Amino acid sequence: MDHTWYVAMVWIGLALVASIISIRTAISVALVEIIVGVIGGNYLGLDPKVEWISFLAGFGAILLTFLAGAEIEPQILRKYGKESIGIGFFSFLLPFLGAMAYVYYVAHWTADAAKICGIALSTTSVAVVYAVMVETGLNRTELGKIILAACFVTDLGTVLALGILFANYNVWLAIFAAITTAVLFITPRFARWFFEAFKNHVSEPEIKLLFFILFGLGWLATHANSEAVLPAYLLGIVVAGLFQKHREMVRHLRTATFALLTPFYFLKAGTIVSIPAIWSGLGLILVLLAVKVAAKFIGVYPLTSIFRFSRKIGMYTTLLMSTGLTFGSISALFGYSRGMITQEQYTILVTVVIGSAVIPTLIAQWFFVPKQQDLKGDWQK
Amino acid sequence: MYTKILVAFDGSEGSRKALKRAVKVAYCFEAELHSVSVEVDLPKYVATVGEFEDVKRQKDAYFERLNHEAIELARAEGVKLTPHVLAGHAVDSIVELCKEGGFDLLVVGFTGHSRIYERIWGGTSRNLARFSPCAVLIEK
Repeated sequence: MDHTWYVAMVWIGLALVASIISIRTAISVALVEIIVGVIGGNYLGLDPKVEWISFLAGFGAILLTFLAGAEIEPQILRKYGKESIGIGFFSFLLPFLGAMAYVYYVAHWTADAAKICGIALSTTSVAVVYAVMVETGLNRTELGKIILAACFVTDLGTVLALGILFANYNVWLAIFAAITTAVLFITPRFARWFFEAFKNHVSEPEIKLLFFILFGLGWLATHANSEAVLPAYLLGIVVAGLFQKHREMVRHLRTATFALLTPFYFLKAGTIVSIPAIWSGLGLILVLLAVKVAAKFIGVYPLTSIFRFSRKIGMYTTLLMSTGLTFGSISALFGYSRGMITQEQYTILVTVVIGSAVIPTLIAQWFFVPKQQDLKGDWQK
Repeated sequence: MYTKILVAFDGSEGSRKALKRAVKVAYCFEAELHSVSVEVDLPKYVATVGEFEDVKRQKDAYFERLNHEAIELARAEGVKLTPHVLAGHAVDSIVELCKEGGFDLLVVGFTGHSRIYERIWGGTSRNLARFSPCAVLIEK
């Protein structure tokens, strides 16, 4: 037992260091935790296979996905459905197919490993895109809202692919699908009543209700060999409208998630990265980054022309849609945990995912940020 | 001579001196006075929108308190101050606001919060003097 406390102390100590570095450098705590995890796994002997750590990390990933789904503004998706679904769908599909085909036919990965690669590199990070757009004020514009809605659609594609491609097509999957559908239908109405009836109590019953549903759906997903993040994301989407009226509760949930759960997830994600594998796989890392960005260009840029975005705004949109972080790392960890990809392949994918969070963002910010006059009036040509 | 003045204000010692100077100049010329505060350390490459919004909310609250102080200081001298809070890169955001707002004088403090950073990288005030479309008064 004292060994358990020691392990807990080391992991939380690293999370504390990551938190301080994040505040000082203004870099996301998630990214810093991954980097600290890389150092921990390669130089400090951190073991990511400890069972209780794996549980907390898994729960952290589920809550991250749930919170990501809950951040959608349903009215935006309704208002900009045509553009966002079109751009979002091809933003998912082309990189998924392109990355999968490359690693299967050229790098000779197995079929399952190729699928994991396709899923991991198909993502778009809503949060990274949102943060970039706030700095330019674009989040308040029509263009910004279309881009954000398209990012949600892309991530929905990623999560669906993760949940469906590897599932066992048996009675458990049918049960999982049926119960999930029922829960998604009932939860918004039931939760609306429950949150009003039991709000503002120190024991946080609203949060416990959400945990109960997420644990239940996670258990069913595991039985069906699907992935717990799929129902978590969908649940987040259906309660998104309700969460806009309960911001304080959401803040408490986010505090619990970021204080205790996601550090284990991101640290674990980092510990599995092998630094020697980064060097030996550097060529493939650069190629896959290029494949992801190129596929996003092929999928997204023509659509921006069809929807009459100007050239500069089309390039800006496409570059932002090329970013990825959370779902990419979740997909890679899913593949590694199930033995579908090796540690070297996992390292390559996570490095590409992190690279895709940074490089397209920098290029977009340096060269293609639309000025305010570009967004006034008819920004569609 | 000056009709519309912008002062960069981030709560640092240098920017407080700049604010006092800007208030005096605005009073003398009966000019419109605006302040700009830039939220520069918003987290990059975040995992969730919520993480970003939590930090932004803290910074918004900080600058709201600061701007309230600045408005009262200006009012005590008989000047009306209109604050602006922007997010992003300090120099780019202030220069862009100068252009869009048609300001004819920008007042900045010589140093901001980090003297070491500014000595190594060249200084926000120096870059603003270089890129600003209008006259710049650097208060030491």
